[in-house]
Amino acid sequence: MAEIVAGIATSHVPFLAMHPQFELAEEGQRTRVVAGLGEARKIIEQTRPDAIVIFSTDHFDRCFYDNLPPFLVGVGEEAEGPINEWLRMPKVKLKIVSELGRFIVSEGLENGVDFASSQELPLDHAEVVPLSFITPTWNIPIVPIVVNAFAPPMPSLKRCWQVGAFVRKTITRWPQQKRIAVIGTGGISHWVGPPETGKVNAEFDRWFLQCLVDGKSAEVIEKYRNAEELEKIAGNGGQEIRDWLAVAAAMPSRLKPRVLAYEPIPQWATGTGVMAWV
Amino acid sequence: MSLYQVNKLLRDINCSMELAHRCQSEPEAVLQQYDLTAEEREAIKGWQVRRLYDMGANPLLLLVYSMAAGKDMRTYVAAMNEKVSG
Repeated sequence: MAEIVAGIATSHVPFLAMHPQFELAEEGQRTRVVAGLGEARKIIEQTRPDAIVIFSTDHFDRCFYDNLPPFLVGVGEEAEGPINEWLRMPKVKLKIVSELGRFIVSEGLENGVDFASSQELPLDHAEVVPLSFITPTWNIPIVPIVVNAFAPPMPSLKRCWQVGAFVRKTITRWPQQKRIAVIGTGGISHWVGPPETGKVNAEFDRWFLQCLVDGKSAEVIEKYRNAEELEKIAGNGGQEIRDWLAVAAAMPSRLKPRVLAYEPIPQWATGTGVMAWV
Repeated sequence: MSLYQVNKLLRDINCSMELAHRCQSEPEAVLQQYDLTAEEREAIKGWQVRRLYDMGANPLLLLVYSMAAGKDMRTYVAAMNEKVSG
């Protein structure tokens, strides 16, 4: 059976990979964020996963109001991106562990989690930006799971937690002797596009990180059952904590959480955090 | 319901630099392909992001469409916080 060997949750702010926007952040802050991502890279190198299951967000470049699944699994042979040319990032092509992707989808459909699936899922900055720091040689194949965190109505925080927990059980039932890491990307607080763009709520971010470290995700889920309440306190980009909760739920109890970096960076319009379970 | 069409145009521009350029060089030809009201057409042609936001366009789409249209973040935030007349 497969084994979950590590977990990472991280912001995916595109300015991490865009110049001169990267340099707009104070030097100390950007150095600490990059160091946190470097630590995440070391964790992945040391735990040697054969594949990465990555929960991330769509930004209206893969899904739209014409067809809007809450959870979409990439099950093709490979995925290429980022799809947005305006990011001016070199495109990368990553192998997908389609066998595991299809296993997660079919197990879900048989057991109450109605995943959508795609044979042609492109990547966007939500995967490419963090992976360019964590697996910069692009040598580890992935299973992308795209969560709707920007187009209401969205799956609830509770549902995202349940799906993360389901993915943990499913990975450990996958009849292959493989080592799997789980990554979630997005958040933490940020306002993407509304008049408040640039605002960061460091108090919320630190509370959220502490809840995950203390194993109190249920507190977050209960407090923000209403997506509008979460948006008021953490912005529309704060809805991406769905991906962090999915990773937290996917972690076996022997893996312990710790924060690798957190910096509130208004110049990047994002409370930028990195966390690991090892 | 035509706001769906506004969001659709913003999404299409986000995914295509070619369309972003065409929207600047021949806006009428591009806008004709979408079922927009006169007010929506005017707001898009004039890059009136605050007006589009107040109409109900998705804010993430407004930002990424603006990035694709070559605007920087500071210009975007300033435009989004302009007092809207009328």
